[in-house]
Amino acid sequence: MKFMIMVKATDDSEAGVMPGIELMTAMGNFNQQLVDAGIMLAGEGLHPSSRGARVFFEGDSRTVTDGPFAETKELVAGYWLWNCASMEEAVEWVKRCPNPMPGPSEIEIRRVFTAEDFGEAFTPELREQEEQMAQAIESRNQS
Amino acid sequence: MKFMILVKASEESEAGIMPTEQLLTEMGRYNEQLVNAGVLEAGEGLHPTSNGSRVRFDGENRTVTDGPFAETKELLAGFWIFKVNSKEEAIEWVKRAPFDGGTEIEIRKVFEAADFGEALTPELREQEAPLRAKSAGSI
Repeated sequence: MKFMIMVKATDDSEAGVMPGIELMTAMGNFNQQLVDAGIMLAGEGLHPSSRGARVFFEGDSRTVTDGPFAETKELVAGYWLWNCASMEEAVEWVKRCPNPMPGPSEIEIRRVFTAEDFGEAFTPELREQEEQMAQAIESRNQS
Repeated sequence: MKFMILVKASEESEAGIMPTEQLLTEMGRYNEQLVNAGVLEAGEGLHPTSNGSRVRFDGENRTVTDGPFAETKELLAGFWIFKVNSKEEAIEWVKRAPFDGGTEIEIRKVFEAADFGEALTPELREQEAPLRAKSAGSI
C-alpha cells in the first residue's frame, strides 16, 4: 500500500528556521533505514508558505493569493511517499522518525489512491493513458 | 525549480465521493499536457482522512490519533510535483487544471540541495544522492 506522510508546519518552519546538523544527520540516517527497508519512494521539504501562493477556482474565474498563510499547524512543511504493508506499519515507522522540528510537531499519514480504488469510471483507456504517462516520467528521470 | 501543487479537500472528497468518468477524462488530458511539456514529475490522490492518522511528537512522546479530521478546507486531497522555471509558470499551469468551483490549490516551492546551506554537509549531500536514485528506481 502507498502512504503519504506529511510533516506539518510550525512557527519555526514558517519562519524559515533550517534544521541543524544534528537533525539533518538523524534524518539522513532515518531516510537510509527507509530506503534499506524498501519503504522509501520519495521525500521533499517545502519552503515556507511566504514563498507560496493559492489559486481559488470558481466557474471560469481563478483568484491568486500570495502567501504567507495563517493557519500554520494545517500547512505542510514536507512529505514522504512510503510503500508499507499496512497503516499500522506506516504508523510504527512514523513513531521512529526523529522529531522533524525543534519543538512539538505533528505528522499526518494518508493512504494514496491506486488504480484499483477507482472503479469503472477509471476506464481501460484512462488506465492505459496513465501507465504510458508513468513510463514517460520514469524514462525521463532515469536519463 | 520544483513546486508542490496541493489540492485541498472538500466535503465530497472527504465523503469518499469518487471522481466521475468525465472529470477523470479531463484530468487525464491535463496530466498528459503536463507530461508532454516536461512539467509533471509526480501526482497522487489521497483517500479521505477517515482512513488516515496523525502522530504528535512532544519530546519523547508519540501520540496517535485516527481520522477523520475536522478542518476540511485545510486538509489535503491530492498533489502534483511540477518542474517549471518560475512560480509564475507554476501558477499558469495550475489555473488550467480542470477543477470545479470551490476548489483551492496551494503552490509551494520544494527545497533542493542548493537551498540547505552548510548544515547539509558534504557527507550528507553524498548520502542523499544515491538515496534519491535508489528510491526513484523503486516507484
